[in-house]
Amino acid sequence: MLPLGENPEEREPIPNAIVAIEAILRQPRRVMYQLRQPGAGKLMFAMLLVAVICALIYGIVVGTFSKGDQLWAAPVKIASGMLISAIICLPSLYIFTCLSGSHARLPEIFGLMCGLLLLMTMLLIGFAPVAWLFSESTNSVTWMGVLHLLFWFIATFFGLRFLENGFSHSNARSSAGLNTWIIIFVLVALQMTTALRPLIGTSKDFLPTQKKFFLTHWGDNLNTWTNAPSTRTRD
Amino acid sequence: MSSAASISAPRLGVLLRGEPVVLCSWVERWDARRLGLCIATILIGAGAYGAAMGFWRAPLQGLFVAIKFPVIILLTTFGNTLLNAMLAPLLGLNISLRQSFLAILLSFTIVSAILGAFSPITAFVIWNAPPLSADPLQTGNTYNFIQLMHVVVIAFAGIVGNLRLSQLLRQLSGNSAVARRVLLAWLAGNFFFGSQLTWILRPFIGSPGLEVEFLRKTALHGNFYETVFRSFVQLFTAH
Repeated sequence: MLPLGENPEEREPIPNAIVAIEAILRQPRRVMYQLRQPGAGKLMFAMLLVAVICALIYGIVVGTFSKGDQLWAAPVKIASGMLISAIICLPSLYIFTCLSGSHARLPEIFGLMCGLLLLMTMLLIGFAPVAWLFSESTNSVTWMGVLHLLFWFIATFFGLRFLENGFSHSNARSSAGLNTWIIIFVLVALQMTTALRPLIGTSKDFLPTQKKFFLTHWGDNLNTWTNAPSTRTRD
Repeated sequence: MSSAASISAPRLGVLLRGEPVVLCSWVERWDARRLGLCIATILIGAGAYGAAMGFWRAPLQGLFVAIKFPVIILLTTFGNTLLNAMLAPLLGLNISLRQSFLAILLSFTIVSAILGAFSPITAFVIWNAPPLSADPLQTGNTYNFIQLMHVVVIAFAGIVGNLRLSQLLRQLSGNSAVARRVLLAWLAGNFFFGSQLTWILRPFIGSPGLEVEFLRKTALHGNFYETVFRSFVQLFTAH
């Protein structure tokens, strides 16, 4: 594996968010290299800002299913849920990378996390037209939930692949720690979707009054769908 | 020059990676800044995890456990200093009291850093759990799950801390067998002392049937091993 920066193209600075968007798709090694350079803070901020904007846009698409209050509530919850999940999991990511022998410093780890969020949310934007189409043509909350989860899993897969590739250049002896962290991150993010429900359906409360684990919530929705598959259900 | 600078700089990453040569140099001499970093990491990391552990019962319980958890770690480290310093040379590792104290302090610092990193995740899980209730039908499974989660996280942190300690002991002794003997002896002593401290300083998760208090009124009555032994006897003699 070539060290980062071997290719002269990777050493070209990333001056703005537009270049960052292009680079993370076509030249991810360039992003990984630039995250290690002095002044990478501006790049990290740009990536995080774009990730939040993309999350808000995707949230609007999610909200088009129920419309009304969900047109503002869903984007706020999705963007804030994404950021809170990242903040919750960042300390353990740093711990696991250090335990694996990685020499990556905390700012670089944070930068790779920003890259993960950027790539994940950009891919969700790519799925947005498909999600919107189904939102307009189905009445089933459960079906839309499954669809949005599927898109999220695919987007997160590519985001985590960027993170893993960045991690592999940091002299880590093993990827067991990172793989464990990935499981924790996915579980936290899935639980966040339940903690901030409803994202798709409707409710008189902004946040739920009853606490549930996400598997219980999925089970309840599946039961509701099985009993009445063609009706739009409330959360 | 850069390696000397990196050896003197108290960096958490170096500690977590467990670079044996660097850690050996750390235990060679007292360094106030490094000592301060270790104690601060224990107070903040173990304190944050203790807060996450206790607040399921009540926010006040969270505050109490945030104080008690680091106290247990620090009291175990300080309380067993002399014993551990004497066991090491008796078992073949000729190190000073300073070196044995700092080695154990470093391992507990690693444990506390890991606990601190997991505290947001633990707090999030507990925040999503139904409130702790006296009715076992309502929270029985959740209580078991949360208790298991604490066991797994604390065990993971403990295993990593001791793994790093064993690597350091191997570097100090140059002999795996000696390092293993010393580690096991220290573990036994710290476990024996630490478990009784934990018993005295209970409750941690708390019980909805009992009031929130810093220490139980029976804190200094009986001990952990006596209770375990009685439970064991009752298990085999109950009919």
